[in-house]
Amino acid sequence: MPDCSENYEKEISDGKNARNIKCKYCNSVILTPSTAAFTSFEFQLPLIRQSKINEQNPETENVSLFWAVTDMFTFQNVGFSNTVGNNKYLTCADCEAGPIGYHDLSNKMSYVALSRVIHS
Amino acid sequence: MAKTYDYLFKLLLIGDSGVGKTCILFRFSEDAFNTTFISTIGIDFKIRTIDLDGKKIKLQIWDTAGQERFRTITTAYYRGAMGIMLVYDITNEKSFENIKNWIRNIEENASADVEKMLLGNKCELEEKRQVSKERGEQLAIEYGIKFIETSAKASIRVEEAFYTLARDIKAKMEKKLVSKLYTPRGGHQLKASELQKKPTSWLSRCTIL
Repeated sequence: MPDCSENYEKEISDGKNARNIKCKYCNSVILTPSTAAFTSFEFQLPLIRQSKINEQNPETENVSLFWAVTDMFTFQNVGFSNTVGNNKYLTCADCEAGPIGYHDLSNKMSYVALSRVIHS
Repeated sequence: MAKTYDYLFKLLLIGDSGVGKTCILFRFSEDAFNTTFISTIGIDFKIRTIDLDGKKIKLQIWDTAGQERFRTITTAYYRGAMGIMLVYDITNEKSFENIKNWIRNIEENASADVEKMLLGNKCELEEKRQVSKERGEQLAIEYGIKFIETSAKASIRVEEAFYTLARDIKAKMEKKLVSKLYTPRGGHQLKASELQKKPTSWLSRCTIL
């Protein structure tokens, strides 16, 4: 499912998220309005549902639209996974669905994939 | 960028394996994503935001991630902790008896003024209960800490427990701040800080000084 299948333009206001960012599955609030900056780059994000568990080589998809968060304590509710390589994956704090994005340990930035959350 | 919160508290969940710490970490969800990538690598910590008396408080909550199996937790884990939830399972006598060992471990490793609270979890399993509520209360009084029975599975009083612990940490911090602001210089300093300490510690038996 490519990112561009949805129109996210109305979600961006002044380069930031116009509305609440919530979990797709349980509606838990992840980020409140205007706390994350829209950014675009390519990243191979592991799928939420894997067909078979293979830690070394998880199934991934190419994700390119993200909400960037500079301070992890900006998040309203979020879970950080154990470290994998140079990253920690982000999950919903309530139902633990994820990865909804990842945290880069080298620059302390967190990136939430637009396609893995809902805006409301 | 301006801070979006007033306080940040680092909290730890401590207790034997199987007492339900992971469920307490957040609301138990029926829709457990337990065959996925995330459950394979495991969760390190969670960030949760609560509102207390108009102040925005960020809680960073850490689970022991299985370290408790070795019956001891390292100093590194305790570093910077401001609050600790001591968790036992009301259907497991041993987990209750071990609370004393955990408190000793905390006294040896954590900061002396860390705020503690005792949780008797799994209170939805009344028919399997091995530890009475009175014994839980008694132990809490003995250590001068607060006590609550929770059910992470049925979402009973878990949130209340976090709010209570956060409120106590906040009160302690504000008290410290006030004593810093109003402490006169020189000889009176000791006396003033002693006075400030009294209201929070009247219940506590001796902790390591």
